[in-house]
Amino acid sequence: MAKHETPLLDELEKGPWPSFVTDIKRQAEKNPACWDILGQVELSYKEKITHWKHGGIVGVFGYGGGIVGRYSDLPKRFPGVEHFHTVRLNQPASKYYSTEHLRAICDKWEKYGSGMTNMHGSTGDLVLLGCRTESLEPLFYELTHELQQDLGGSGSNLRTPANCLGQSRCEWACYDTEEACHQLTMHYQDEIHRPAFPYKFKFKFSGCPNDCVAAIARSDVAVIGTWRDNIRIDQAAVKEYVAGKIPSNGGAHASRDWGKFDIQKEVIALCPTGCMWMEGGDLKIDDAECTRCMHCLNVMPRALRPGVEQGATICVGAKAPILDGAQFATMIVPFMKVSADNEFEELIEFIEKIWDWWMEVGKNRERVGETMQRIGLPTFIKVMDLEPIPQHIKEPRSNPYVFWQEEEVEGGWDRDVEEFRARHAA
Amino acid sequence: MALSRDELKAAILKKAETAPKPQLYIKDFYACDPDTKPREIKNVANDLVKEGKLMFWSSGSTTMYAMKSRIKNEEGDSGVN
Repeated sequence: MAKHETPLLDELEKGPWPSFVTDIKRQAEKNPACWDILGQVELSYKEKITHWKHGGIVGVFGYGGGIVGRYSDLPKRFPGVEHFHTVRLNQPASKYYSTEHLRAICDKWEKYGSGMTNMHGSTGDLVLLGCRTESLEPLFYELTHELQQDLGGSGSNLRTPANCLGQSRCEWACYDTEEACHQLTMHYQDEIHRPAFPYKFKFKFSGCPNDCVAAIARSDVAVIGTWRDNIRIDQAAVKEYVAGKIPSNGGAHASRDWGKFDIQKEVIALCPTGCMWMEGGDLKIDDAECTRCMHCLNVMPRALRPGVEQGATICVGAKAPILDGAQFATMIVPFMKVSADNEFEELIEFIEKIWDWWMEVGKNRERVGETMQRIGLPTFIKVMDLEPIPQHIKEPRSNPYVFWQEEEVEGGWDRDVEEFRARHAA
Repeated sequence: MALSRDELKAAILKKAETAPKPQLYIKDFYACDPDTKPREIKNVANDLVKEGKLMFWSSGSTTMYAMKSRIKNEEGDSGVN
């Protein structure tokens, strides 16, 4: 029996899609406190103002992250959501759970919390929604001691690293994203659990430029698999595609007849750099011009494969805030070997160089991409001990001035201009 | 010359006790000793939390440090997490 009238929320159940309103109503039959979520959200829809308060001093002992405090500002009216803290659990690499583990987490969560979950948060965590302050410690104890399940990151911490399925399922993965994600998660336990930075910091690991975890758009350090030799071409398979014997796109979009596969129209003409052509029945690629858009590989996966010299491109500075100011990452290192053989040493060194700089010059609540933008890419490249390369340049320069460093000018800034003019009349 | 660990702890606690606002960003402690690297200051501040002398205050998106005596529970803001 509904505790609150919810005519506005009820509208959201009428469309063709699954509705969170239906889910909460179902959960409220088991846990009546959930009716108060619906009541409070209905009121917010009506008044067009939130009744949640975020933050505070909730947490578990020794941890400075993983719990996000949330309270109702109308606790007497909606006592079921008086405390409604969020608990973030660190997902396993690639989100490979056993159903046994998921059931065990759900049992704990029904015992100590609302029973509502969000699978998953945008950082990848398994999110448990709605816990009272006094239940946090016992929940945390049982999660860690009985299920070996740790919390994820929140606040000004390193956020829970995330990765794509990588080499466990995908033939395009150019490095072992699961190993990288797992090892860096373990290496940076202190940074994940205790605040370290001016603001949040995220890594994401994608095995290939398809970037299935959207690292380039959402992470401060995006590690995106790539290759630096040539795309491997199986010319016999190309011919099979052209003859219509192998379905394009791995058979996706097969619910409709799109007509005969046309390699010219569907692959070559769509290449963003125009670096492909047919010659005597063979597909040719000018690999130096390839921008790794992945379209040709996606359309003809049995004919085209990434090259054999594999590693990752490192991009820095993306953010995807809810309100405004979304920013893509900037390519900083075109190719880096990413390997467990040296315990990801080169990547770790790169990340820590960023941290040392950002912790010093970054303003409070400023993502590293914003610091880079404020201070300038030339300074960032210098701080990272890198030489500027053409790939760092987004577009041909529009500013006609050349900015020299003092050490690059003979005699420095204090040279004798009179003496110079004696030799070179103005 | 950088402060010793104990001196740095004392300087951080003094700052947390006397700052106009009870919640402080980690950067606010950097001035306690300009000769110590930010990551070391963070480690010392986190040690003070483990010792129960400071506590974390989180808005969900940002984490700050505070002395328990200067802050009341169940405060919140409408920050985005």
